[in-house]
Amino acid sequence: MFDPYILQQLAIGLSLGMIYALMAIGFTLIFGVLNVVNFAHGEVYTIGAFAGLMAISAFGPPLLVVLFIALAAGAFAGFSLERLAFSPFRRFSDEASLKSRAMREATLMSSLAMSIIAREAMEMIFGSQFQSVDLAYLINKPINIGPITIVNGDLIIFAVTLIMLGGLQWLLKKSPIGLSIRAVSNNALGAKYCGINTDRTIIITFVIGSGMGALAGILVGLYYGAIFPAMGFAPGIKAFVAMVMGGLSSIPGAVISAIILGLSESLSTSFMSSVWSDMVAYGFLLLTLIFFPQGLFGARRDRV
Amino acid sequence: MKLTRRTAVLLTLATSLTPIAAFAQDSVKIGYQLPLTGNTAQYGQGFHEAAEIALTKFNASGVLPVPVEIIYEDSRSDAKEGVTIARKFVDDDDIVGVLGDFTSTVSMAAAQVYKKAGMVQLSQSASHPDFAKISKWQFRNITTQDQEGAVNAAWMIEKGIKKVAVIAEQTDWGQSAANGFVEPFEAAGGEVVYTEFFNRGLADFRSIITKIEEHEPDAIYTGFFYEDGAQFLKQVKQLGADTPVYSTSAAYNDTLIELAGDATEGLFLTATFLPSRQDENVQSFVTEWKKTHDVAPGQFPAQAYDAVNIMLEAVVRAYPDITRESLRDAVAETTDFPGVTGNTSFDDNGEPLKELTKATVSNGVFVEVQ
Repeated sequence: MFDPYILQQLAIGLSLGMIYALMAIGFTLIFGVLNVVNFAHGEVYTIGAFAGLMAISAFGPPLLVVLFIALAAGAFAGFSLERLAFSPFRRFSDEASLKSRAMREATLMSSLAMSIIAREAMEMIFGSQFQSVDLAYLINKPINIGPITIVNGDLIIFAVTLIMLGGLQWLLKKSPIGLSIRAVSNNALGAKYCGINTDRTIIITFVIGSGMGALAGILVGLYYGAIFPAMGFAPGIKAFVAMVMGGLSSIPGAVISAIILGLSESLSTSFMSSVWSDMVAYGFLLLTLIFFPQGLFGARRDRV
Repeated sequence: MKLTRRTAVLLTLATSLTPIAAFAQDSVKIGYQLPLTGNTAQYGQGFHEAAEIALTKFNASGVLPVPVEIIYEDSRSDAKEGVTIARKFVDDDDIVGVLGDFTSTVSMAAAQVYKKAGMVQLSQSASHPDFAKISKWQFRNITTQDQEGAVNAAWMIEKGIKKVAVIAEQTDWGQSAANGFVEPFEAAGGEVVYTEFFNRGLADFRSIITKIEEHEPDAIYTGFFYEDGAQFLKQVKQLGADTPVYSTSAAYNDTLIELAGDATEGLFLTATFLPSRQDENVQSFVTEWKKTHDVAPGQFPAQAYDAVNIMLEAVVRAYPDITRESLRDAVAETTDFPGVTGNTSFDDNGEPLKELTKATVSNGVFVEVQ
C-alpha cells in the first residue's frame, strides 16, 4: 500500500513539520511563562536569519559558527524585546497590577508594535525582496534513500529540534534556572513571594526562547534559500496553531502538533488543490479545540 | 534674533517648502499607484526608481516649459487600498492621468473608479485579459498572458511536447497565465495532464512537484514570478526531477538566476526586455539603473520606465491644453513608441501590440533563442 509516492509525501510532511516545530518550541516556552502571545517571535526568527546572512556575506564562516551568531543575535533581540515591550508593563508591583489581565494583555499590543517596527525597519534597510544567499551555504543537497529524496537540511533540522527539545527538558527539569522558570510560569505571584527574582527569570526565558527562534530562522532560511523581511509571518502562524493544538504550554505537545500539521499539509496536496492545504491544517485546529478544549497534551497541569 | 531651536526648525521648514510651493503652480501632475510596502514592495520600489529615472530625464530635457510631477501613492497590492487611492486621485483636479497599479487584481478594482470619473489609467504590468476591456480609459503596455501563452504553446508543439503539467499562482494573473496557455495548446493537439494553483509566496513546492512527477508530463508550464520561480526550480532540482520547465516573462529577472543558481539552467521563457540588447534606449536605461543597483533591471522596472515615457510623450502631445479627456486621446494615439521593451502601439481596446522574444538560461545568463 505504501508506494514511493506516498512515502515521498510523508517524508516531505515530516520535514515541514520539523520546520514548524523548530519555531514552535521557543514560542511555546515564552507563552508558558508569561501566558501571553509574543507577536514579535516571527521577527526574532527573521532577525536570526538576517544576522546569519550578514555573517555569511561578511566573512563566510563555517555553518556551525553561522548558527551560533544567529543564536546570539536572537538572544540579544529577545533581551531587547523584553526590556522594550514587556517589562514596562510590569513596573507596578502591587498585587492588583500583578494579577491584572489588562496589564498582561497590553503586551500583546506592544509586542505587535515591536514586530511591525522591526519588520518595516528591515524592509527599509534590506528591501523586501529575497536576499541572495551564497548557494554553497544552502542546506538543500539531495540525499536519496531508496525511492525517496530528502536533503541534508532535513537531517540538520531534525538533529537541532531533538537537541533543543532534549536540552530544554533538561534545563527545565534539572537546573535551578529551570526550576524558577517553572515556578514563575505556574504562579508568578507565588514565585515572587518565595523570593524568586521573577524579572530575571522572565528575561532569561526571553533570551532562551528568542535564541531558539533565531536559530530556527537561519536554519529555515538556509533550507529554502529564502531570506526576506516578511519570512517570519507564515511560520509564526503555524507555530501558533501548533502551540494551541498542543495545549498552549506543553512544548512536546507543540512539537507533535507541528509534525501533524506538516504531514496533513503535504498529504492533503495529494487529494486536493494545494491552496486548500492550509484549510486542512486549520481544520485540525478546530477539531482539536472542539474535542480537546485543553489541547492534545494540555490536560496535565504541569506547565512548560 | 537669537537662533533658538524653534526658529531653526521653522527656517528649515520654510526653505524646504518654498521650492515645492513654487513648483506646484503650473506643473502637470500624474498619479502613480503602486505597492511601496508589503509583500510586493520590491516591484513597486523598482517602478518608483524606474519612473524617477524617466521623469528626471524628461524634466531635464526641457521639451515642455513646465515640469511634470508624479505623485506616488502606496497601494500595498491591496484592492481596497487601490480603490481609495483611485478616489483620491480622481478628486484631485490637478491630476490628469494615472499610472499603475502593479497587480491585475488591484488595477481592475481601481479601474472601476477611473472608468466612472473618466481618467486615463496606464498599467505597466496588469496583464489580466479583462483589464483593458473595462473601458476606453484603461491601457497597458505589457503583453497579455493570452499572447505569451500562445507563443509558448506553439514553441512546445514545435519541440514535439505533447503532455504538459500546468502550475500557476492563485491570482487573477495566474489564472489568466494558465488559461492563456491551455487553450492554444489543447487546440494544437496537446494534452494537459495536471493543473495546479498555489498561493503566492508558498515556501515549499515539494508536494506539488512530487504530484506533477506522478503524472509524468513532457514539460511543465509555469505562471509565477521570479521569487516563487526560484523556490520552485530549486526544489525541482533537489527532488531530481528533470522535466523541462517553461515560463512567462514574469519569471524573467536576473535575480532568478542569483537566487536559484544552476537550478535555472535550461529554463525556457518568453520575454519582452533583454538588458543585454545593444540599443541606445536600453543601454542608457540600464546604465542609469546600475548607478544604484548591482544587477541589471528586470522586466518590471523596464515596463514602468516605458509606461512613464509613454505617458510623458502623451503629455507633450496634449500640451498646452491638457485635460483628462485630451490626455486619454493622446495616449490612445501612441504608435510605435520606441521603448526599452520593444515598440509599443495601442489597439482600439488599449492593448499593446508588441513582439515577444524567446529566451533560455544557459551558463547562468539569459540568452535569446532564435
